[in-house]
Amino acid sequence: MSEQYEPKIVAFLCKWCSSAGSDLAGVSRIQYPANATPITVPCTGAISPMYILSAFNKGADGVLVSGCHIGDCHYIEGNYLARRKMHLTMELLKFIGVEPDRFRMSWVSAAEGAKFAQVVTDFVNDLQPLGPQDKLKKAVST
Amino acid sequence: MINIQDIRDTARDMLAKGEVRAVIGYRRGSRGMLAEPAFITSPEQADELVWDPTCFHNLSLYLVEDRKFLAHLKKNSDAPIAVVAKGCDARSIVVLLQEHYFKREDVYIIGVSCEGSGVVDERKLAPLLNGFQASNAVFAGDDFVFTTAQGEKRLPAREVMADRCLECRIPFPKEHNVVFGEDKTGRELAAPFAALTRFEAQGAGERWNFWSHHFDRCIRCFACRSVCPMCYCDECVVDSITFPVTPATTAEEKANRIRWIERSATRSENITYLMTRAMHLAGRCTDCGECERACPVNVPIRLLNNKMEREAREKFGFEPGASIGGPSLVASFLDSDPGDFIR
Repeated sequence: MSEQYEPKIVAFLCKWCSSAGSDLAGVSRIQYPANATPITVPCTGAISPMYILSAFNKGADGVLVSGCHIGDCHYIEGNYLARRKMHLTMELLKFIGVEPDRFRMSWVSAAEGAKFAQVVTDFVNDLQPLGPQDKLKKAVST
Repeated sequence: MINIQDIRDTARDMLAKGEVRAVIGYRRGSRGMLAEPAFITSPEQADELVWDPTCFHNLSLYLVEDRKFLAHLKKNSDAPIAVVAKGCDARSIVVLLQEHYFKREDVYIIGVSCEGSGVVDERKLAPLLNGFQASNAVFAGDDFVFTTAQGEKRLPAREVMADRCLECRIPFPKEHNVVFGEDKTGRELAAPFAALTRFEAQGAGERWNFWSHHFDRCIRCFACRSVCPMCYCDECVVDSITFPVTPATTAEEKANRIRWIERSATRSENITYLMTRAMHLAGRCTDCGECERACPVNVPIRLLNNKMEREAREKFGFEPGASIGGPSLVASFLDSDPGDFIR
């Protein structure tokens, strides 16, 4: 197969930082892979581990969670809470044998369009050798 | 050594004086040696209470049930309920108090220390009794004595104790109104998280093979959820029952409702269920091990909960059920929380 495998990424982006950061990447015309489907959330602290499990369940090859840098949260402490929750989620995914590269978290501020492009590019590059995610994906009966 | 007569006397006295409206304890069950939960409301019944190595139930579950029952009747508790609690059960009660599920004065904790032993694991015991069923089990120092049709059989407690009891470091109910037995906090029959450490030594591929095998076997009977005192939500996220269907509901609305998890017992859905459960119990599970015991297909659920418990302890310095006023794991944070995994 000559065509490269294109992983599907679900990206949960915080409304205040990473979402604006991805927007900046767009208006700055930075080239980066189109594999990420952004879902804007009010705050990374509002992301339930259920969202991540559900994304994998519905066929995502990778899940990205991105929010404001520590100390910059619009709600003061949301990203501190997210850091804890996402750490636990990540450890649990690794524990049952899911590849560590399938889940990623990053801090991208509204001014870091280039960083957002870099994060997505790196993520896609890391996911490509892993191939489709079928461990947590729902088997669809035909 | 705990004298069962002490527990009976306490229960009888409190019921006679009307200080409590019921005592939840253990009594002889109808299946072999096993004890069963007892709900005692009159002083005469107090003599039914027992305390032996088969008292594995976490009775704090019934405090939750009582609270739900009262809420259904739209009543307030007029007197506390007394409950017999081992170390792990008392920690469960502390977590429930932390979450303001009921008030401290609504419960009277009759603490029992497991001292140097714990509860028996039937799965470990079965092969040691030559095919006979035990009709009785008693504590005897560091041993358990089982009565079978062949006569008495004395076995070292360590050989037949549940893993969680071997790994338990605090076999003493710190939160209590009255307590029986010695405080042997700090005893170490097996290294904490021994089973987890053994499991984690394997590679990711082997771990996945192990889990996919078990996730395939889960039949989604929800016994683990029913038996867990921490799973008290009125509406569980895995049940898609909260969607109100009226004659006016369109087919499109029905098709587009949020379904986090399907009810079918397939691997992907079982993974999502069991992982969600582990996440919901992170920082709340006190390792009473009831989920694993109740599981009809022996899915090692305790490993998942243990993993979360160890992460919480090692990375966040968090101990579940340590104090009533303490913070909860996922609603608090420290500046020193690990963040190196974040790009």
